[in-house]
Order: sequence, then C-alpha cells, then structure tokens
Amino acid sequence: MSLLARVVEEQRDDIAIAAIEGEIDASNAYEVGERLRALLTNRSTALVVDLTGTTYLDSAGINLLFELAGELTDRQQRLRLVVPASTPVLRMLTIAGLTGTVPTHETRATALARRA
Amino acid sequence: MIDRMRNRPAEEQAPVADRQRLAALERITDATLSALSIDRLLRELLQRISEILNSDTAAILLLDETGRMLHARAAKGIEEEVEQGVKIPVGRGFAGRIAAERRAITIDDVDHADILNPILREKGIRSLLGVPLLVEQRVLGVLHVGSLVPRSFTTGEAALLQLAADRAAIAIEHATLYQQRQLAEALQRRLLPSDLSGTGGLQLASRYLPASGESLGGDWYDAFAIAGGQVVVAIGDVVGHGIPAAAVMAQLRTALRAYAVEGHAPGEVLELVNRLMTGVGPRAMTTLAYAVIDSERASLELVVAGHPPPLLISPTGEPSFLEAAAGMPLGVSELARYEAHTFAFEHGATLLLYTDGLVETRSEPIDAGLDRLRTLAAGNGGVEALCAKVVSRLVPEERHDDVALLAVRVEPAPEQLSGRWPAERSVLADVRQLLRRWLESRGATSDEVYDIVVACQEACANAIEHAYRPGQHWFELDAAADGGRVRVTVRDQGRWRPPRGMHRGRGVMMMRGLMDSVDIEHTDEGTIVVLERTLERQTA
Repeated sequence: MSLLARVVEEQRDDIAIAAIEGEIDASNAYEVGERLRALLTNRSTALVVDLTGTTYLDSAGINLLFELAGELTDRQQRLRLVVPASTPVLRMLTIAGLTGTVPTHETRATALARRA
Repeated sequence: MIDRMRNRPAEEQAPVADRQRLAALERITDATLSALSIDRLLRELLQRISEILNSDTAAILLLDETGRMLHARAAKGIEEEVEQGVKIPVGRGFAGRIAAERRAITIDDVDHADILNPILREKGIRSLLGVPLLVEQRVLGVLHVGSLVPRSFTTGEAALLQLAADRAAIAIEHATLYQQRQLAEALQRRLLPSDLSGTGGLQLASRYLPASGESLGGDWYDAFAIAGGQVVVAIGDVVGHGIPAAAVMAQLRTALRAYAVEGHAPGEVLELVNRLMTGVGPRAMTTLAYAVIDSERASLELVVAGHPPPLLISPTGEPSFLEAAAGMPLGVSELARYEAHTFAFEHGATLLLYTDGLVETRSEPIDAGLDRLRTLAAGNGGVEALCAKVVSRLVPEERHDDVALLAVRVEPAPEQLSGRWPAERSVLADVRQLLRRWLESRGATSDEVYDIVVACQEACANAIEHAYRPGQHWFELDAAADGGRVRVTVRDQGRWRPPRGMHRGRGVMMMRGLMDSVDIEHTDEGTIVVLERTLERQTA
C-alpha cells in the first residue's frame, strides 16, 4: 500500500469495518479497493467504510465507492459509509451524488446500529 | 638470461651482478605494477621474482582474519597451492614459522626440515627461501620461493625477496583496505536515499562525507513521506565503523520507516525502535534526531535521542538551535522514553540536521563547533547553498569522523504556480501539496482549497489517463490569481479519449460541481483544461 493511506480493519459479527486514514487518489484507489474487497467474507452482511480519517477524496475514490456499492448489492450485501457532517469529504460525496445511493452516517456507532 | 650471466667469466661478474641487482630492483619496484588489479599484481610479482632469483616456484600466503592461519593466495609453479586452498597454521611448518618469527628462513634441504605442506614435497622441491609480508610491523602473510635442485639461498637473495615482499605487502594492504572501504561505502550509498525529491514539495539537500582513511563511520539520514502529507526527516550516528555499523544502520532505517509509516507518533516511533534494538537487536548505540514536518500546519515535531540539536533558520535567515530535551541514545536502555516537541516551521524556514562530525573536533569543546555552525548558517540562500557552505567551511579534508547533513526547507509560495510533471499517477500527491500551499497563500479558505485541489486533480488525472500512447508523457499546470479569481490551467499532449464506462465522466462532473467555470479544449497537440473560481475572501 502506498504511503498515502492506511486501512484499519475490523470485523464485528457479520459486519466488516474499514477505516481509511489518509488520502485516496488515482494512484492508490485500486489498492484501497482490493483491501476493502478482501475484507468481505460469505458471512458478511455489510461493509462499513469509515471515512472519518480520510483527508483527501476525489472522483477516483468516489468511483471506487460506487463500484463497491454495486458489487455488494449484487451479492445481497450492503455498503454503509461513515462521514462526519460538514466535512469536505461529505461535500464531495454529495456533489457526486453518492449520498443519495449509499447510506451515509455521521458516526460509526449509528452505522453499526442500523442493522437492517 | 640469468643463467647466461652466471656463466660469464669471474672478473666480469661483480659489475654485472650489481647491474643485475639494480635491474631486479627496478623490476620489483616498477611503478606501473600499481595499475594492476591485486591478483594480476601478485601474479606478475611472483613471475618476476622467480625470474630474478631463478627459482622454480613462488607463492604468497596471507593471514586470515583470525590471524592464526595462512591461506595460499597466489602461486607460480605450484598453482595447486591456491587451487586446493592450502592452509598453514601460524607457528608451524616452514611458512608458519616465518609468520610467527617475522624473519626470513632458508631451508637448504627439505628432507631435514619440518614441512607441513604436502604439495611442496610432492613437487620435489629441494630448497626454500621465505620472508614475511610486513606492513608497519604487522604480519600480513608470507612470500616464499623454492628450487627443484638443492641450493643455498644467499642473504643477498633473501634481501631481494624481502623487497618484493614489501612491495606485495603494501599492494595487498591497499587493496584490502580499498575493498573494505568500497564495500562499506557502497552499502552506505545504497542505504542513503538517492532521490530526496518527491517528498511533499519540500526542498531537500544532503551531504555524506565519509571519514578519512579506513574508518568509515555509521552516519546516515533518511527522508520520506508518510500519510497526511507529512514528511519525516531523520539523521543518526551508529557507534562503530565500517561494515558492522552500516549493517546496523540498514536495520535501523528499515525499522524507523516501518514504524513511521504505520502511523505511530514521533516519540513512539523512537521508543519502538529502541525496544527493538535493546530486545532482539541490532544492539548498537545510536544517536538520532527525528523530525516530522507538517508543511500545511507550518510546524514540525522533533524527537532527539542523544543527538546534537538541529538548527532552525528562520525565513529571515536567523539561525537558532532547537532545544528539545534529548532522550538517551537508542540501544542503551529499554526503559528509555522519548518525547516529541513541537516547533513552528514557517514557509521559507530551513531545518538543518547534522551529525557530530560537523561540530566536534578533537581540539575544542563542542560548544565552539556549535557556535561556528550557527554563525555560518545565517542567511537564506537555499538548501543546496547552505550544505555547500557548511561543508566547505566546517568540514576538514582530513577528518576522523563521518559528517552527514540534511537540510530541508518549505518553499514560500510563489505568486504564480507553474510546473511540469511526468504523466504518472504517483505525482498526484505532490501536485496536491504544492497547490494547497499556493492556494493558502492566496487567502483561500480551507473548503475552497479542498474544492479547487480536487477539481485540479481531476484535470491532472485526466491528463495522465490521456497519456495512453507509448513514449514519455507529461502534463503542465499553471495557477494564477487575479484579484480574488483563481485560474488553473492543465495542459497535456494526449489525445482526448471519450469517457468510457459508467464512471468515466465523473471527473468532469466533479470539476463542474466545484468550480465557477470549466473549459476543456481538445486540439491536435493535446488537451487544455481551464478552471476558474472566485474566492470569497479576497486577498488585497
């Protein structure tokens, strides 16, 4: 993994959690994606991607999230995002229209509480 | 030729012998021999000495690193010695006694002598003459010649052989030192970062000057980017010399990078490295200055482990030492604690890390050296100029210790930003850093900085994607602010590819969502993207 970002992983029951710390751009989006995909098992019902510690995100990262959302839906799994309010990352997701497609939570607690 | 001379009448023999001796001396001390590699030089010397002394065999044995065993290194007439890797213990046998007693030994008849080496007997050698290879009273090995016919070697012949031995000893000594030094230097060079560019838009310059003579020290430095656009700069001094010190340095540097990249705080990084060193090793004492530079926050965090204080030169050129309470050197105690101290690191300021070889001389206290460095470093001429000045004024030609320097400076943002980069994704982060700093200097709010940076990155990422044809590709970015309006132009030489797949148009969509105006022009030469946005808070 490049030095731009690190992925902190956690499995909680049937939910895979990945916190992305640092920056995602076109140079590392693919690697980050592979890390996230590797977290999913057949038991997983959802993947929570925590962007609280993400300091940079552009269309490379947004495309990745759209792709992941599609892949998970195909497998009857759900993608949930954690993005604190009024952050630049949330603004980017909103401009790109991702917040209308993928459930977005302000905290990890609420993302995990919604066990639907 | 020698035989022919021997047959001359007796009255002619004396002057001829003198001339012959002189010619022999010249052949052995021949300066052109120095140009040969060590192996060829030894072979050539053995050849010449065999001819001069009219011997049938000649061999050189060298002491191994234990100093207790002689190994055959070069031979003439008895090449099997080297091929079979003959070893003779010091103090025993013919060669072993020469090494132990440090004197010439002659054996007129090997049948009545203690000969360990079976090859000498098998070859049918009857008589032997051997001398020690000495450098400054140290025994390096033994040079011996042999004759297949019984013969009494004269003291004159022994003197000639000793001359050849001295010649060989010096060459061997030089070659050995040279090889060791080459090896240690090559190791050190590989360990020092060869390319300091690309570390978050910072200006970096460095110097490494090995100690004079054979005692290459263990100084090292490193610079690398970690997550969040921060840059780590570190300099250290491993106690010890040569290859062992370089090896410790290699392990230390890897450990440091690993912990830093993992996201540990500066003090923690040192504690982890220290625990590693005192636990599983390498167990060697090392001083270290470790700084994490955050150019966006214009600050740096510093941790010092028994290392002289780094020097900070303000944007106006005033130097002062960063006095952070220093922890003990690494590798001393597993209980050592290291604390990070935060200092302002403004744009235009320079941080100079160095090792003690720069400020310590044998004749004066370290304070005098520190004072001299501070006085000299005043001014603000850039990192390369600073390193050049410090090295030329403070580092003596002959030095007993290594000197390493690492200077780092955050460039003050220019009025206009302009640059050209290879069309590779790996440059995106650098471009981002540069743009952020420039936008901040133009008075953009943090949200504006973020938006404009993303829009520009989309344009750059497109330019990189367009560079799909083989060959070298690049893109250019220019940024200017006119009143409160920022205009960024991104140019590439690639052919526009129509967006493919469902996500391909998203970059352009982001640009339009984030900027006031977006113009994309496709020409035969390439694509030009012009992005504009008016800042809320105008710079006067």
